[in-house]
Amino acid sequence: MIVNRREALIGRVLLLLLMAITVVPFVSLFVTALHPSGSYPAGLSWPDDPQWGNFADAFRSARMGQLLVSSALIVAGVVPISLLFGTMAGFAFGHLRMPGHRIGFLIFVLGLTLPFEGIITPLYYQVRDLGLLNTRWAIILPLIGLFMPFSVLWMRAHFVTMPEDLSEAARLDGATTWQLFRRVHLPLARPALSSLAILLFLWTWNQFLLAIVLVDDPAKRTMAGALGAFQGQWGTDIPLLCAGSLLILAPTLAVFLVFQRRFVAALLQGSIKG
Amino acid sequence: MTRPRSATRTATAPVRRSRRPGAWLGWLFAAPAAVMYAVFVLRPLALTVQYSFYDWNGIGASRWVGAANYTRLFTDPEQFAPILHAFELILFFSGIPVLLGLFVAATIRGIAQSRLALVARTVLFLPQVIPLVAAGIMWSWLLSTTGLANEFLSAVGLGGVTRAWLGDFGTALPAVGVIGAWVLVGLCTLLLLAGMSKIDVALYESARLDGAGPVREFFAITLPSLRQEIGVCVTVTIIAALASFDIVYIATQGGPGNSTMVPGLEIFYLAFAEREVGRASALAVVLVLLVLACVLPVQRFTRDGSR
Amino acid sequence: MRYPTIAALACTGLLIAAAGCSAPGSDSGTPDAASSAAAVTTSCGSDPVTLKGYFETGFPLPKQLADEFTKQFPNVKWEVREDQFAVITQNAPRVLADDPPDLMRLPQVSELVKDSLLKPLDAYAQAYGWDKWPASQLEQLRVNPGGQRGDGPLQAQGLNFSMTGVFYNKKLAAQIGMTQPPATLAELDTVLRKAKDAGLTPINQFNGGATGGLAFPLQNLMAAYGDPAAINDWIFQKPGATIDTPSNLQATQHLEKWIKAGYFAPDINSQDYATMMSRFIGGKALFIFNGDWESGNLDKQMAGNAGFFLMPPQAPGGKQAAMSAPLTYGISAKAPHADCAAYFLNWVATNQKARDIAVTVGGSHPMGPSDAYMPPVKEGTVTAATLTAGATIGKDNGAMDFIANATGAIYAKSWTPQLQKLAAGQQSADALLKSVQKDYESQVKG
Repeated sequence: MIVNRREALIGRVLLLLLMAITVVPFVSLFVTALHPSGSYPAGLSWPDDPQWGNFADAFRSARMGQLLVSSALIVAGVVPISLLFGTMAGFAFGHLRMPGHRIGFLIFVLGLTLPFEGIITPLYYQVRDLGLLNTRWAIILPLIGLFMPFSVLWMRAHFVTMPEDLSEAARLDGATTWQLFRRVHLPLARPALSSLAILLFLWTWNQFLLAIVLVDDPAKRTMAGALGAFQGQWGTDIPLLCAGSLLILAPTLAVFLVFQRRFVAALLQGSIKG
Repeated sequence: MTRPRSATRTATAPVRRSRRPGAWLGWLFAAPAAVMYAVFVLRPLALTVQYSFYDWNGIGASRWVGAANYTRLFTDPEQFAPILHAFELILFFSGIPVLLGLFVAATIRGIAQSRLALVARTVLFLPQVIPLVAAGIMWSWLLSTTGLANEFLSAVGLGGVTRAWLGDFGTALPAVGVIGAWVLVGLCTLLLLAGMSKIDVALYESARLDGAGPVREFFAITLPSLRQEIGVCVTVTIIAALASFDIVYIATQGGPGNSTMVPGLEIFYLAFAEREVGRASALAVVLVLLVLACVLPVQRFTRDGSR
Repeated sequence: MRYPTIAALACTGLLIAAAGCSAPGSDSGTPDAASSAAAVTTSCGSDPVTLKGYFETGFPLPKQLADEFTKQFPNVKWEVREDQFAVITQNAPRVLADDPPDLMRLPQVSELVKDSLLKPLDAYAQAYGWDKWPASQLEQLRVNPGGQRGDGPLQAQGLNFSMTGVFYNKKLAAQIGMTQPPATLAELDTVLRKAKDAGLTPINQFNGGATGGLAFPLQNLMAAYGDPAAINDWIFQKPGATIDTPSNLQATQHLEKWIKAGYFAPDINSQDYATMMSRFIGGKALFIFNGDWESGNLDKQMAGNAGFFLMPPQAPGGKQAAMSAPLTYGISAKAPHADCAAYFLNWVATNQKARDIAVTVGGSHPMGPSDAYMPPVKEGTVTAATLTAGATIGKDNGAMDFIANATGAIYAKSWTPQLQKLAAGQQSADALLKSVQKDYESQVKG
């Protein structure tokens, strides 16, 4: 490829600038978190006496241990079920193509652009009537439903690319449809599934609206919802709030950095298909 | 619970001959997904439409009011303002990330494989990974009176324009827009960069041989080939703008003086604080339709080009 | 694609039809009001009880009372949730209905009463003898069947009785030659001008987000220009009451004058309550308009350096008025441990240790009979100043409820945005009052 040196240089500078803009808020959050609790530090100044204890304080007052468990439970409820149901439906729409599959699929696609605010009001009353208000189920069940359009679309896109011969061969061997799904197609869908799992994990973990509307107790919310409550409770103390925010960010950041390659790929594909 | 499925069946009454026995079995596979979707999305959606015709405080009895909630929404300027704000946010949530993303991606295309670019891939994704709430908290702090933004402005001799960005009528909404742009610009840049990497290098080579500069190259080759990626960026960011909630809830709560009130937050306030469930639902219906009205043309435009 | 699209739409239509056509909310049962008439138990018993509390963030009083209560009654444990007042205001109806706390910090009660969300306390009032307390203490917590406050059945109780006015930084005051609190409004104006000329921030006041703190100085000015009783009528939703009166217009214009003169910090529209407090404590402003719930805190954090005075009247020696309200706590109509919560409320007003806490931590006058025990307060403290001010207000009959409490939504939907606009110079005094009055009428009617 022909790249002249000046263009490359401009590119590098631009990239560095963009990275700086992306990172600065994080740095500011971090530096502020180290100031004495209760103070109003100005701008980006390194404190004379960094208060590492702020993180421990925030960990205690935000009850991070409980929050982590709670978010993990919610993720454990949402992701596997969404994956299973989404894959089965994607298999049906993409591969089995039963009569009426087009309409069925189209109804799912219609839900793809739905803003959660659009249904949050009836959802509240529905969840209340089910007696699930203030339980983790109040977040888990609606999220499974809300993630269905994307999950189905995503898995269908995978199964559409699977050659028909594969199934024909299995059927000739006497496999039932379920065995065909379980033994042949599911193993082949692993890459698509893992990307979907990453996306669903992220979206569940960061879900805010459902958490603040349907669950009052921060200890039963998602991380993002708990952060909202944390701001309500400790917004009076900026360094502590910053320390708490960083702690609440930490798990996703850690997971992201460990699986970054899959993550980036999944997010890029995710938005293309979404 | 079985109603959604049977409803779907009846609507497809003219059944074509099944290819093989048990072809209907597919519906059994789709059933769990369909049930969850019907119960937790379609039913609430239908109820939203129904509520929007009632005057209901969420607790007592309700009263049928016809289209009154909608009339009020479209005639009362104060009620309509959040919708206008959402459109203004599109400029920031969509405009900046897509244009800046295109510019950056086109500029760094040549060094897309360098180590710096690989690091950048990770860094630029950070805002996508964190909760929007966290972005809101970070930026409220950055944009406060004593925050970094003002410190920077003072340092470069612009002390005169410093202000509480989120507390000023003129700047609060753009400030919220900047937060959204920050979250989305990395995603758009990388999406567009990924799209560019799929363009045949030979095209560029021949353009260079013809003496084309970077600008002509961009308009003649890059832009047309990116139709689909641009469509995706625009779609994702428009939805983010119209359905914004988290950032505004944290950074301004709609203030000062409703100048940053957006539909999502207004629905939340109406439904759960003012207990105007009917009016909240009417706004919700309008929001859902608005998103569709904005997204469908974009989809059509990009799909036409790529197929 | 055309055929499936239409079919899909048809299906969605069927679903909508299937979702049921009964009107929303018609089947919700009303909580039985009969139970309140039944005899009440006046203790917490001896079995383990966990009281569910919903308190306001940033104010240690309820938490400390709760802890002390547990110390005295070890079988009672607490499960406490906290939020900022604005959030509590938003959440109150649905929390009371769907996740009933035993004891909850309440915003304006009249709408909650209309929907039968609160447990009426008359039976307890009789059992505990609250009806023998000075009537003015509980007046604001009574709601009559017409939805107007001021008389009727008792719907909530107070943890103490708070008082608002002007806090000042003594060091900064001395710097500009203010040796004693201004005695008239004109004197206050002079002090403000001097502070401004000396390069100080004369007033800092939170006015950002969902909380328009300019309502504090505004209502103080209203009471300086007009009759506090008329303001109370408006707050209590008396028929025909209006906020758009000539004297209130003068008051609002006075506030506007202060804003235009630059007497407020330039960024009040982005300041929340905590920012204001931390800046005041840090010596960054001469005055704040606030309430005695901060007295204990200021005595600790600005020991000897904070002062308090009531808003001065227009004419020397004129009557003074202040927003003064019970720190309202109520019991959900569906609360599982209503009796124990009521016992707690009575304990707060009558137990010596609790009254100590109410004054030293809460900074305000405790509820209860007028001859009850009063903890000693050190001379010269802010707490002493606010308690004295309370006596003045009692003498002048100048207690007002807060204009933000007139209806459930008036603060968030009207006062806050309007006052933010006023602060930014985007609204005139006249239009502000007219707009608030319009919202008020539609909310009271609805």
